[in-house]
Amino acid sequence: MTNPQYLLRPVNPAFIALSFVLAFLFNLMPWGTTLWVPDMVALVLVFWNIHQPRKVGMGVAFALGLLMDVHDARLLGEHAMAYSLLAYFAITIHRRVLWFTVYTQALHVLPLLFVAHAVPVVIRLAMGAPLPGWQLLLAPGIEALLWPLATGMLLAPQRRSADVDETRPI
Amino acid sequence: MDYTPPPLFKQGTSAVARLVFYVTIALALLIVDARFDALRVVRQVAATVLMPVERTVLVPRDALRATFDYAQSAAALASENRELRRRMVAEAEGSVRQSQLEAENNQLRKLLGLVQQSATPVTSAEILYDARDPYSQRIVIDRGSQHGLRAGYPVIDERGVIGQVTRVSPFQSEVTLLTDKEQAIPVQVVRNGLRSVAFGGARAGLLDLRFMAASADLQQGDLLVTSGLDGTYPPGLPVARIVQIERKADTAFSRVYCEPVAGVRSHRQLLVIRYEAQLPPRESIDGPRDAKEARIVRADRPGVKDAERADAKPAAKPAAKPADKPADKAAEKPADKPAAAKEVKR
Repeated sequence: MTNPQYLLRPVNPAFIALSFVLAFLFNLMPWGTTLWVPDMVALVLVFWNIHQPRKVGMGVAFALGLLMDVHDARLLGEHAMAYSLLAYFAITIHRRVLWFTVYTQALHVLPLLFVAHAVPVVIRLAMGAPLPGWQLLLAPGIEALLWPLATGMLLAPQRRSADVDETRPI
Repeated sequence: MDYTPPPLFKQGTSAVARLVFYVTIALALLIVDARFDALRVVRQVAATVLMPVERTVLVPRDALRATFDYAQSAAALASENRELRRRMVAEAEGSVRQSQLEAENNQLRKLLGLVQQSATPVTSAEILYDARDPYSQRIVIDRGSQHGLRAGYPVIDERGVIGQVTRVSPFQSEVTLLTDKEQAIPVQVVRNGLRSVAFGGARAGLLDLRFMAASADLQQGDLLVTSGLDGTYPPGLPVARIVQIERKADTAFSRVYCEPVAGVRSHRQLLVIRYEAQLPPRESIDGPRDAKEARIVRADRPGVKDAERADAKPAAKPAAKPADKPADKAAEKPADKPAAAKEVKR
């Protein structure tokens, strides 16, 4: 493996909370019925479930899902179930995924995000709704493309140097 | 460095067990929310907690809009102003005549012993955002139960009916548009008074009249207004215009597609009509017919006197409770169906 291996500092729980708040605010924006808008909460959820499965688990996923359901005026439980499944799959693959490069990780995460978007669709199909537009398929793809970016941003605080000096001020 | 010990021993409940737990709760929530109306409180609490955050997120968008509005050229504003003035003059005559006709109508109704129609209070509201749900047509407005709204109130813009308030939380409420799959509205053709019920969801953005006989007197361009028979919508509001009629030889019915007259997607300001049906408390419900049509209770019963009407106002509402799903409605019906069926036959 040619990648540099970092020894990471311990994660700050406040930073995890902040990342969730920002992702949630992104989802609250007035997107209307634009289907391809990426679900940032799902992405951040997968990230923390893979990197910190003992700090962020399915309980957080479930609660965030309920809030999303209320905001979107959907049936209570659609997103809650999708996010719970997402968290579960993320926890099951978390030991394996981190050995790959960031781009291969994105490929591993893609099917999980796809499942997260498919669950509400399946629930609605079961209740007699028609299929939504094909643009919905773009959403998990865009989220997977954002994975390297998310990794860079969300791991940045943990990659700081342990002993700060003049050459490495951060 | 990450000092947490390797998770060899204390792992807590297994992931599968937790998954089963949460998925079961989610399923239970789904079923309860879809079948019963039991989670209203949960939703209201969550919506109230979310409300300040939602409003904050909308601030940048509104600021951007305000900037664009400000940057709009004086010429555009002047032309809009001219257009509005012209429309105001055109409507002035009508509004003067209307108040006179209203008085006359009330007078005549009093002579005939009919229930009087009075002006209904309105609340103006603004659209906050479209609900992010590709399956249903809903918008969220910035007025809620604190402003006197209740589920069931009709919502209009300056051209006609947009939809109906379907869920209310303290500071905002959800409006289901007429074009939603689960909406239905009783209508009447202006030209000849033919009554029907318009359903949403036939085609994107259109309504359809179901089970209209192939020989029914309908023409393209006919204007449909609310008939007011359901006690939810006041009578006479413009709803839609017929755009296409398909008459096929193999069925006895024609398919009639109508386009809503209200600019559902083009406006930000709406009006919620706080309309309380002035129907007598329902003692007659007919059984097997569609729930929407079932609310055809005779409004012109001579027995209701003025004094009673004032009292009957709040009481009448629960009976004519709007539901966004016909299925739910059928379930809500009390059990006195046979009696109603008899009354209809008489």
